[in-house]
Amino acid sequence: MLIIDKRRLCALTGLILGCCLHSCTPVKPYQRAWLNDAAMRPGSSGIDKFDTNVHSIREGASGGGNGKTSGGCGCN
Amino acid sequence: MEKPAEAAAVTDQKMKNRYLTLALLTSILHARGQDSTYRHQRIARTDIEVLFGYYTQDGNHSAITGGTGTEKLRVYSPEFTITHYRDSAHTLTLNGGVDIISSASMDNIDFIMSSASRLSARTHGSAAYSWKLRRSNTRIAVQSGLSVESAYLSLPLGASIEHSNPSGSQEWKASLECFFDDLRYGWISKEYFRPIGLIYPAELRDTNWFPNYRRNSYNFSFSFYQAINPRMQIAFFPEFVYQKGLLSTSYHRVYFTGSRFTDRVEKLPAERWKLPLAVQLNTFAGSRTIIRWYYRFYHDELGITAHTLQLEVPVKIHPEFSLAPLVRFYTQTAARYFAPYHEHELKETFYTSDYDLSRFDSYKAGLTLRYAPQRPMSPRYTFNALSLRYAWYKRSDGLAAHILTLLLELEHSRSHPLHEGFDRKGINHSD
Repeated sequence: MLIIDKRRLCALTGLILGCCLHSCTPVKPYQRAWLNDAAMRPGSSGIDKFDTNVHSIREGASGGGNGKTSGGCGCN
Repeated sequence: MEKPAEAAAVTDQKMKNRYLTLALLTSILHARGQDSTYRHQRIARTDIEVLFGYYTQDGNHSAITGGTGTEKLRVYSPEFTITHYRDSAHTLTLNGGVDIISSASMDNIDFIMSSASRLSARTHGSAAYSWKLRRSNTRIAVQSGLSVESAYLSLPLGASIEHSNPSGSQEWKASLECFFDDLRYGWISKEYFRPIGLIYPAELRDTNWFPNYRRNSYNFSFSFYQAINPRMQIAFFPEFVYQKGLLSTSYHRVYFTGSRFTDRVEKLPAERWKLPLAVQLNTFAGSRTIIRWYYRFYHDELGITAHTLQLEVPVKIHPEFSLAPLVRFYTQTAARYFAPYHEHELKETFYTSDYDLSRFDSYKAGLTLRYAPQRPMSPRYTFNALSLRYAWYKRSDGLAAHILTLLLELEHSRSHPLHEGFDRKGINHSD
């Protein structure tokens, strides 16, 4: 069951990746007005930092582009 | 009557020509004057961020009392970050802050029944320096810091490398961060100010449960950004974490079936790896709305498999003002060593009753208000933005929390005359 899930997950990830990268069009520097908007920046923004710390303490999972995955106690 | 009129017109034309000649002459002389005082300058910029976080939670599954009892907790967390861009190549970032924690369950390590909950604090600071390699779009960074609280000391060390293509539509970053932690008690306690040993629950201090008090963590992370079109970009965040050492929390109790008096300290394996893999898709929909999707898959050594899905939709209701509603859904399976209060068997090798490692779902809903005038306050200081976020967080095991965050962003800029070694773009080639 776990193997099937892993295969499905890999297939889904590959499909999404393939579709996205296949549909890429070259973006010229003068076309970056939308992409350069503060809210379009990938990763977590400054105001996410505290929330991310809370999630990494209160949940078993952590990491994935949004903050530290170890260091610090967080044991309260 | 016509001759005087013609003469007057000719005189006007001559006057106009004289004024025009004078104006041109003046402008030429003025331009020469400017030329003589022209100096190349580089602009040094400093971004100042002040973050204040407030967190409060309540629940009834405290790990300190074996998976039962109050989890009431409050955290006040002021933090400052200063990023100094000396020029376009060199950047220095300093960060510091304090987490002031008021925890009701911490009282139960010693079963202290005080009217006020026990206060503890975590103080942390870090510094990072990055520089851009000459004639390339590659940047290298190193960082370190210190985090200390009464029963914890963490020393992080890290390095990263990032590269973007000339158009900026593709970027990748690889980083390695190591944490060297010491879990002994006494670092900033009023009585000791030195490590004296691991802290155990009051009734279990006759046994030295763990010979090792160190924990080392190694995080390898990679990120890849790709602009799909002028309105959409995707990012991937694969990561691998390896931890070794004391991964148990020495004052978490575990109660076993059969007897009221058989309790022990939580015991988890001495090694753990974590594998998070996240993808983010940001889209500009229309002229005012941005849609930010985030999904993360996670699996680790303890048997936890988790999925996180987050959607945030910033809407610009004014050029300076935006609203961003946020929803987040999270689900995880239980660690294979978890069992609730009084349900562990004595024959088990590893055991914990920490509900952070149990099977649960969590939901979060929030709203961010952002005011970004980017308005000069003085010749050198600019008020960039003020953001306020409130979020409500609920876990299916009953834990509920409120999170409030305030972020103030300022900018300080200063121009310096260029000296030998800097080019006109402000890049230092003398290194």
